[in-house]
Amino acid sequence: MPEGETLSFGLQIQPHSRMVSIVRRFVEESFGKLVGDPQAVFRVSLAVHELLENAAKYAVGDKTGLTVHFESNGSAAKIKLTNQTTPEHIARLQASIEEIQSSKEPFALYQTLMRRTFGVPDESGLGLARIRAEGELDLSLEIDGTMVTITASCMRSKELSHE
Amino acid sequence: MNSWAQAMTETDFAASASSSERRILVSLTGTADLTVKSQLDRFLREVHAQAQRCLAEVVTVDVRQLEFMNSSCLKCFVWWISTVQEQAGEAKYRIVFITSPSVYWQRRSLNALACLADDIITIQA
Repeated sequence: MPEGETLSFGLQIQPHSRMVSIVRRFVEESFGKLVGDPQAVFRVSLAVHELLENAAKYAVGDKTGLTVHFESNGSAAKIKLTNQTTPEHIARLQASIEEIQSSKEPFALYQTLMRRTFGVPDESGLGLARIRAEGELDLSLEIDGTMVTITASCMRSKELSHE
Repeated sequence: MNSWAQAMTETDFAASASSSERRILVSLTGTADLTVKSQLDRFLREVHAQAQRCLAEVVTVDVRQLEFMNSSCLKCFVWWISTVQEQAGEAKYRIVFITSPSVYWQRRSLNALACLADDIITIQA
């Protein structure tokens, strides 16, 4: 992350669908007052929302860890979400993030996934691709047994605040 | 032609629709997230069914007061748009989104939807 003041917080929360919008609003309102770039704040809050919903749907256990780091000028951000999940969901996550990481056209992939998944009930399949395409954040995945950490980040100073 | 109206209200989300002649007006407010996905899905299916019954020319969707929409709810719109796109002749109608430039998710997400079917979707700020 570039030099400059870093704003951050960490939360340990229950992965419940009713918590998701509450946390997103907290991110929007708190960083909205501290960071002078509303577009950058939106992109981070979008990632927080989609990652938390992923946890609400697929986490095992009652603990999900969320950390958000934000450069105060809106130039860089990192969102990390850690939770336990099933081997089946880990396999889906790996495949999904590999597909996103290997795509040179995130928006085109997002469109492809919209067409591919709209007939598939009970699974959006779009959240991570949306973070990459609409949020313009890079995604990575760490796996430790049944514990997974998804990181959405933007390290390049121009990218996050770019319209 | 008979008028028609539909409405649903959840804790943090509300949707309403009404039709007159061959036009339908839909209004969505609040937050469309995982907690209302199935309700939104049913609501859009009812809107589409009414559009087919009244041979709608246009369905206007006012999202100016819609604070956020998650990817699961976006997928409900993907279903709707794809279904309209498959229609032929008078069964096919246009969808116009009325948006607010100050609600940041709208431009990016609705542009993504519009790219699926730019022949039937219009976005108005």
